[in-house]
Amino acid sequence: MALQNKILLLNYKGYLREVFNRSFASNSRALYKSARNESLRITEIEDGREPERSVDGTRIRSLKEMPGPSAISNLIEFFCRDGFSRIHEIQIEHSKKYGKIFKSRFGPQLVVSIAGRDLVAEVLRAEGVAPQRGNMESWQEYRDLRGRSTGLISAEGEDWLKMRSVLRQLIMRPKDVAQFSDDVNGVIVDLIKRVDTLRSQQPDGQTVLNINDLFFKYAMEGMAAILYEDRLGCLENKIPQKSQDYIAALHLMFSSFKMTMYAGAIPKWLRPIIPRPWKEFCSSWDGLFSFSQVHVDKRLAEIKDQVARGEAVKGGLLTHMLVTQEMNLEEIYANMTEMLLAGVDTTSFTLSWATYLLARNPDVQEQIYEEITTTLGHGTIPTADDVPRLPLIRGLVKETLRLFPVLPGNGRVTQDDLVVAGYFIPKGTQLALCHYSTSMDEENFPGAKDFCPERWIRKDATDRVDNFGSIPFGYGIRSCIGRRLAELEMHLALTQLIQRYRIGVCPFTDEVKAKTHGLLCPAAPINLHFIERRA
Amino acid sequence: MSLVTLTRRLLNLSAQGSPLRRSAFVLASDTAGLKRCSLPGQLQACCTRQRNVSTSTQPLRADSKVTINFINRDGEKITAKGSPGESLLDVVINQDLDFDGFGACEGTLACSTCHLIFDEDVYKKLGPVTDEEMDMLDLAYGLTDTSRLGCQICLTRSLDGITARVPDSVTDIRQSEDVSS
Repeated sequence: MALQNKILLLNYKGYLREVFNRSFASNSRALYKSARNESLRITEIEDGREPERSVDGTRIRSLKEMPGPSAISNLIEFFCRDGFSRIHEIQIEHSKKYGKIFKSRFGPQLVVSIAGRDLVAEVLRAEGVAPQRGNMESWQEYRDLRGRSTGLISAEGEDWLKMRSVLRQLIMRPKDVAQFSDDVNGVIVDLIKRVDTLRSQQPDGQTVLNINDLFFKYAMEGMAAILYEDRLGCLENKIPQKSQDYIAALHLMFSSFKMTMYAGAIPKWLRPIIPRPWKEFCSSWDGLFSFSQVHVDKRLAEIKDQVARGEAVKGGLLTHMLVTQEMNLEEIYANMTEMLLAGVDTTSFTLSWATYLLARNPDVQEQIYEEITTTLGHGTIPTADDVPRLPLIRGLVKETLRLFPVLPGNGRVTQDDLVVAGYFIPKGTQLALCHYSTSMDEENFPGAKDFCPERWIRKDATDRVDNFGSIPFGYGIRSCIGRRLAELEMHLALTQLIQRYRIGVCPFTDEVKAKTHGLLCPAAPINLHFIERRA
Repeated sequence: MSLVTLTRRLLNLSAQGSPLRRSAFVLASDTAGLKRCSLPGQLQACCTRQRNVSTSTQPLRADSKVTINFINRDGEKITAKGSPGESLLDVVINQDLDFDGFGACEGTLACSTCHLIFDEDVYKKLGPVTDEEMDMLDLAYGLTDTSRLGCQICLTRSLDGITARVPDSVTDIRQSEDVSS
């Protein structure tokens, strides 16, 4: 999401120069006081002079001096060689070539890439109260056009903070999220049924073709069960028309990803000449919003009926939001829309990769199966309370997301002037945090190319296994709000699938590579065998 | 106090009531004929909320308070009192202790800014650490073997008189004026 709105249309060079000069001229005292780290500290200087050296004698360098690919080579890479689908690989190539911090230019947009684990940590730890991910102008413009509210993805500043404060109290605490176990397990019953139906339709009775299609429906059904307190029938043999329409809108949003990126980048006056990107962008949003509205309105009507009859109002997340009115109805529509959008592809890709990796690494799969049967036996249906006793299941999800971080890079727009790795980065600079390259870095993860869920297992409570090298959900107050919901959906589904089936490679599927299409996704369909285990 | 802390504190104050209590209030005032609004257990949890519900019916006596000594980043000792069931983060917020940037995510386990360091014997008394807390501790600045997140520690009588040290400030790479205050 963040990457697709990278293109800012402003005179960046002039802006940079202005910010650079202004901040150094006026903030010299503050600079000395606030920079506490030895290597970053700037020598005390006389007012009005630019600081040139930090305390240890290193000169603070300007963005001009930062290495990086030239604007022209970037243009060729991205527009002629379809670099957009290889953003994750380009991250690694560039960080090998230019180091852990480098700059790239996409037309008028300058992006500073942060590809070092410790630098990512520094940047995220310096965040303020309302971090900004990237330019969301096109999202906001659509919402203004239709009189809609922004949601957690598209909102910024105070609006964002207000909604985040409400929603994080509802769906972020692991203890609260654990209560959704039964809802999720209800969806898993249908997932398993669907696996069996799909297998039975194949001549070998074992193959499930394009596993992502199945997990897409599972994730959508799971999110709807939690967010709407309703089921959509995505895992049924015949999917209801309304759910089909929504899936179509979601696919349009996804398939027209590049279009929507251009929709934000193409200046308004060009729209009459090139109307399609903006039109598709709007129509897919129309579809997504109306779907959410139908479900929210339905629940609202039920609540009103119950109140009119004098009955107690009982319900889950949506009921709570409608009853407490901490957010108004438009804000609820917008957040339901954006949370559903954010919670489907992300979860389904990760589940697809996880099962793909299990199939290609039967020894690891057997080890996890052993853990599950030792802990739960063959027939026990796991809940969130069982997950702490299944460390390899947690390791499986972490390792999958390390190898295939669904968001290979995340964005931040700096809200203060920063000094990172000795470079002065003015406020308002677009940063790209290169999660893919840090998670594939041998320094952070020895044997980085190997699939090894065990690397995440702790010996005891003081054993440290992780750091900023792999933070697929981000870190801090703008990290993924659906993280715990997604984890629950993945932990429970994977446990039951491994418990029930031996997942194997299918002769139709060779190695599947990843490509970036907004998110990091399988470049080809993943077909797998699901062979029933006998207890 | 920096603007950052102030904003956060204001938000914390407004977000403190239990969702359960507020739901009932809104419905009672907005709609006639509704006696009660009951919401599922999934929406009521954690120390803060339970405390708020219980204090409304049975005010806690002053002598049941638990004393906590904080050592701030300047090495100064600050003594504060909290009620059993509150988290250490609640104590910092309720007592308006000025530890800049502390508890940014309001105890929802999305950051590690309420990181506190304990003596070893105290650490052992604090109870088990969940996986989610350990994952967040991995991302804490200045981590030690006796580190915990303040939002995950619920006060009990047995913790009376303990000392919790606020670790040194994160390396601040920000260069603008408002962070230097």
